[in-house]
Amino acid sequence: MGAVLPPRVSDRQFQKALDAFAGVVGKQWVLATDEDRGTFMDIYAAGDADQHVPSAAVGPQSVEEVQAIVRIANEYKVPLWPISRGKNLGYGAAAPRMSGTVVLDLGRMNKVLDVNERFGYCLIEPGVGFFDLFNYLQENKIKLWMSIPANAWGSVAGNALERGYGYTPYGDNTRNICGLEVVLPTGDLVRTGNGAMSNSATWQLFKWGYGPGWDQLFCQSNFGIVTKMGMWLMPEPEATLGLNIQLPNPDDVGWAVDELAPLRLNGVIQQSPSIGNSLRFVASATQRSQWYNGDGALPDDVLADILKKAGYGWWNINLRLYGYDEVNEAHARIIKDAFARHTKQEFQVVKWHRGEPIENSGAGVPSTLALQMINWRGGRGGHIGFSPVLPPTSEHVLKQFHSTKKRYEEIGVDYYGSFTLMERSVTNVNLMVYDRDDAALTAKVRALFKTLVADAAKEGYSEYRTHLSYMDDVALTFDFNKNALLRLNEAVKDALDPNGILAPGKQGVWPRALRTERA
Amino acid sequence: MNALLHGCMAKVVLILVAGVCFVATAMARPRDDSTQKIEEGKRLFHARCGYCHLAGGTGTIMLGRRLGKDRSLLEERTDLNVEYIKKITRVGINGMPPHNRIELPDSELDLIATYLTRPASARAADTAAAKGGTP
Repeated sequence: MGAVLPPRVSDRQFQKALDAFAGVVGKQWVLATDEDRGTFMDIYAAGDADQHVPSAAVGPQSVEEVQAIVRIANEYKVPLWPISRGKNLGYGAAAPRMSGTVVLDLGRMNKVLDVNERFGYCLIEPGVGFFDLFNYLQENKIKLWMSIPANAWGSVAGNALERGYGYTPYGDNTRNICGLEVVLPTGDLVRTGNGAMSNSATWQLFKWGYGPGWDQLFCQSNFGIVTKMGMWLMPEPEATLGLNIQLPNPDDVGWAVDELAPLRLNGVIQQSPSIGNSLRFVASATQRSQWYNGDGALPDDVLADILKKAGYGWWNINLRLYGYDEVNEAHARIIKDAFARHTKQEFQVVKWHRGEPIENSGAGVPSTLALQMINWRGGRGGHIGFSPVLPPTSEHVLKQFHSTKKRYEEIGVDYYGSFTLMERSVTNVNLMVYDRDDAALTAKVRALFKTLVADAAKEGYSEYRTHLSYMDDVALTFDFNKNALLRLNEAVKDALDPNGILAPGKQGVWPRALRTERA
Repeated sequence: MNALLHGCMAKVVLILVAGVCFVATAMARPRDDSTQKIEEGKRLFHARCGYCHLAGGTGTIMLGRRLGKDRSLLEERTDLNVEYIKKITRVGINGMPPHNRIELPDSELDLIATYLTRPASARAADTAAAKGGTP
């Protein structure tokens, strides 16, 4: 097959760059066979993996090696696509936005550099996975809890940088970033926040530093390569109290959001509860063929039968209170009273106290079981996530839910959605699950995705994160003053990355020399 | 039977006995370097593949659906071969993503494959160790 070369780069230039990379990291860590390239492709792509083909991958083990690679990339105009562990599943995994880009895999930089139990933080390298940090905390008996996403195979830093989230009170992962070390596109090295002082005593304690704050400028960004991340971790609470409930009707999600939103805002609920439809659970535990073999989306009567037999509600809520027993009990009563106004369904209560097994606690415990859902349709499963952000009201949530479900049914995909309540917004994650070998269905999924982006934009909703193939579409929905934000981002991009070598096209931000590549 | 022939036969018997003992010993207890490789492969398998391929893991569940429960735990399979393990790891299969040579270098994959294809004697030793005895 041979490498797909990046724009502006000859075969000779490319080979010289690879040789120079090998001079820095050793030949073993420059991967450029067809099989190697295949391992960095978008594994779960909806038929468009060939739009995001890497030319090679290089794996540094130190900051100095990253700097040297960046300088070589500038010399040969070879673009780099940094990944932490490459498990951004559903959003493109390890693959680059632009074909021909060399993947800069930071997985070998995997040290937990510091954990401070007293002040509740860690300092980690990008290759540290959720399992790695969890094991580190457990083995060292450190009473700090992590916030972990549903599928925990990926990188702690990578997830926070992509604005992923978990389900503890520290669930908004990007908000817990406190201080970064970053290699800039020219190869220079910078530390953000108070880390800008070479002898800082408070790098992981105080976020804002002095002057403009830069941590968020490196999130979902192609302005730099994060080589260290400070992150706040949650002190283990005295107790937790879980409240699980199943709601039987599709429209129950409306009143549930109206009741939960003020409790989330005023702090009765401190974590971000997720209201997930039954498929979120059924698709992990069973396969579609066990229930239905017909064409089109699951009919409502089949779904009703599944709910009855599998024991799920149309919507399912698992929320958790953290802190002291007395306070948790008082907050639980407030929540139960709010729900009692709408349903006779009872909450299942799960209590945990310090010292009991962590699995029942509501702490983040890493697992990959959520990945089971890709097996829903059998064959070579895949999925993609469409994730708009809405105001937390029944009006918005119900309209978006019914509109999305109808769109799914039009192309024969089973509705799979959840609404996660943040403090002042709802993140509506919708997965489309398919068999990658069903070309007709994946073509429909690709078309549907663009329709959903357009539908949401008409309502004033943006996506919080998106797949490689739709980064330009979503960026263009931010259209105030003729896309002024995109123009600002690209002005900054050109200033920081004059040769356009770092992650061209990420989140729709293209360097001047490659803007013709915009979709 | 003359003494010479008797002596020769005795030697043959001794050699055979010694050989059988050697084979039996080798089967019961693989050579040290093999044992080390298998142990290291086991450690790596648990660290790198265990997320999905230990009991209750997502890979175990998927394999159980496709091949049946008796073939769902990779550690217990005796029908795997080194080349198959290495290929599937690099190209993926069904829902399992491929693993690149940075997250899992060839040297580590070799050890994992060695562990998953360990001889019956090593499995017996494993089982006995798990029960707190010797094979």
